[in-house]
Amino acid sequence: MKSKPDTSFWDQRRGKIFSSKGGWKVGEAVYCHGYSMMDDLVGQVTYMQLYMLNATGTLPAKSLADWVEAAYICMSYPDSRIWCNQIGALSGSCGTTTVAATCAGTLAMDSYVYGAKTLVDGVGFIQRTLKEYEAGKAVVDIVNSSGRFRQGKPQIIGYSRPIANGDERIEALERTRTQLGFNIGKHLELAFQIEKHLLENFNERINLNGYISAFLSDQDLEAENIYRIFSTFVASGVTACFVDTKDKVPGSFLPQRCDDIEYQGTAPREVPDKS
Amino acid sequence: MTKAQSKITRRNDVFSGRVATRIWQEQPAEDNPYAVEHSRCHGYELLDLVKKRSFVDVLFLLFRGELPTSDESELLEALMVAFINPGPRHPATRSAMNAGIGKTDPALILPIALTAMSGKNNAAGAVEETMRFLRKQQRRQVSDVAMELIENEVRPPEGDWIIALGFGSYYNSIDVQTNKMANHLVSLPAAGKALRWGQEFAEMIASYDLGWLPVGVVAAVLTDLGFQPRAAAGIYQIISAPGLLAHGIELANKPLTDMPFLADEDYFIEE
Repeated sequence: MKSKPDTSFWDQRRGKIFSSKGGWKVGEAVYCHGYSMMDDLVGQVTYMQLYMLNATGTLPAKSLADWVEAAYICMSYPDSRIWCNQIGALSGSCGTTTVAATCAGTLAMDSYVYGAKTLVDGVGFIQRTLKEYEAGKAVVDIVNSSGRFRQGKPQIIGYSRPIANGDERIEALERTRTQLGFNIGKHLELAFQIEKHLLENFNERINLNGYISAFLSDQDLEAENIYRIFSTFVASGVTACFVDTKDKVPGSFLPQRCDDIEYQGTAPREVPDKS
Repeated sequence: MTKAQSKITRRNDVFSGRVATRIWQEQPAEDNPYAVEHSRCHGYELLDLVKKRSFVDVLFLLFRGELPTSDESELLEALMVAFINPGPRHPATRSAMNAGIGKTDPALILPIALTAMSGKNNAAGAVEETMRFLRKQQRRQVSDVAMELIENEVRPPEGDWIIALGFGSYYNSIDVQTNKMANHLVSLPAAGKALRWGQEFAEMIASYDLGWLPVGVVAAVLTDLGFQPRAAAGIYQIISAPGLLAHGIELANKPLTDMPFLADEDYFIEE
């Protein structure tokens, strides 16, 4: 006779929640990673410190949270041409709620070409590359072996950028880094050396991904934690673009005539009867 | 310090002047270029499709560009009924229920549930990779793949064993209902190589209490029907949407107390 399957793993967890993060003990306290939220956190830490605590399990120094907050500002352009922001604007055109629009635009950032998810690859690149560099590999060899080339230019995560060459956010974040008292660490130093080589040879520069990946690697943060920290990276810009269209006449955002869509499909044909 | 001087220049990339589509044609009214007189899907007048074809046929047409044969239509419809509801215990359904009982805007219940359904654990987010697994492995002998996996993969100490994408245990047993569905689907005339390969694979691993999982069956049918792997997660979300929404709406008119809220003694904060 066949033995009964062992379901003890699930039986032990039925009707119970086991949290490694914290929770609300009614009438006692709200615990958050070992802190009492009302006593130790409210009024004591910034929202971004709490955000990073909830994302990583570690309460960062205020200066680091302030730097991350500055990076968030750098991803909050209220420009509805940007893909995720345009979803916010179109949601406003459809008359959604602010929360729905902001969530929809933020979801769009879960992309392989822009947004927080690309930081996983960016961090992977700079952390792996630093090990190779410290083992003696030259910057020129790092660039030449880092991936594919397109139109004669190396395609390296964290370098170059669509639409523009160069990144205005780097200068702003560098200024913030200095003001907050952070030195340039090994990862950021190498990232700038790679940029110098790319600029001199290919006229390409570091982008926000490359800069954030290197700076936060110097702060000993792991790739997955960096992704988690930036999970709502674009939300504010999306909200701005939503509000811009929600407050205007419905349908007034980027209206399209039928012939604004180029049809390239099959010519008109008869629907066959179902056999 | 070796930081380069910041200088921002426009790349002047050439972007398309307008969006192109091979799917849908909107023919404007004579007196208004914004108003639609006729819509065609891959060349078929929408009103004619309304009169002559089923929802499943037009769904197939949208993604494949041609209407399905009656056998293909039968297989897709059977799949859609088989997996119309992930069931009230599935995390995506429970997300819908939480939204419903919490009086979330009803228009947002489905997007909330479908977002949960986008995950990779027993959910739509795993179908694309599973289709790629089936496309690749179906060129090999089932017995070779099964032996290789059983010998090399390690059963995890806790939780279910997903021995291959789309195949594994379900609460340490074979997922009986899903395997019944697969048995039926593989018997239909439009069942192809992926379904048959998967069925043979499921039979081969059954002695280890492993078998088809829903993701595997959905992936196999979509492979046999010629859907693109990249569309697969969304198709599975469409298939499961009715069940997710129904469960969310069922609770939307009920008081908060109609769902459990665990007592403090059942909520454990681990050190």
